[in-house]
Amino acid sequence: MRNWILLIYKIPNEPSAGRVFAWRKLKKLGAVLLHDAVWVLPSTPQTREHFRWLAAEIVELNGESSVWEARLTAGDEQELINQFSAAVEPAYRQIMAEMKNKNRDLAALSRRYQQVRAQDYFGSELGRQVREAFIAAKGDSK
Amino acid sequence: MKWVTWQDVGIDRIGCAWLIRKHIDPAPEFLFVPEGASKFPPGAEPFDVPGAKLSHHGGHCSFYAILREYKLNDPILNRIAQIIDEADTVQDVNLEDVAPGLDLICRGIRLACGDDHIALERGAMVYDALHAALKDQVQRS
Repeated sequence: MRNWILLIYKIPNEPSAGRVFAWRKLKKLGAVLLHDAVWVLPSTPQTREHFRWLAAEIVELNGESSVWEARLTAGDEQELINQFSAAVEPAYRQIMAEMKNKNRDLAALSRRYQQVRAQDYFGSELGRQVREAFIAAKGDSK
Repeated sequence: MKWVTWQDVGIDRIGCAWLIRKHIDPAPEFLFVPEGASKFPPGAEPFDVPGAKLSHHGGHCSFYAILREYKLNDPILNRIAQIIDEADTVQDVNLEDVAPGLDLICRGIRLACGDDHIALERGAMVYDALHAALKDQVQRS
């Protein structure tokens, strides 16, 4: 069983910039929205730190927030992991498709790959294939 | 002066300690309290812990907060603040390619030496090196 970290928050509706700030950061982290304002990430020292800072920033924006460590005791953990994979796999597939293009920009694509990988918390097999495709493509140009 | 932060230092706290020793307090004493603690030894200035003055505010890292608080305005230190911002906080714009690498190295320093005091000492060398390299870039451009 895995450890997860949950961020729960409330933030005033106005000004809306505060809500947008928190939401964008959560999306950028690749967190999954479990319920209304309950976001989840696998628990690692880095994700704990990110959630804690975000919680402090939400309080600065006159909101309320708390960060919890949790284990799932009823429910489908694999289903949750699948949600994380489903969030990164379309982006990996798109990079893979663009790599087949003759006029591809490998440098730009590899930067996109790095951004997707930062949200790939469960080491997707597709991500590994994309990485290998990059290494092979690099060899091509010799 | 005494400075206190949570155990298990990383990129931001190693950078803050380096900055404090170089520019604010030549003989600092760094204290560590367990992760999550909100009570600190009397007289010690907390840094990089949620809620402290010298910590993350408005989407910026603690290193940035210390620069502002002590009115240190130096282009190379500002550049280091940008690097730590990108590594340690969630940013939409990423301009510094060294950020993820420095983050990983700082994490590794803490893991490899297993002690926060030693991590600050060894980490200072990495920041000296970063500062020297950035300064050299500026001088050449």
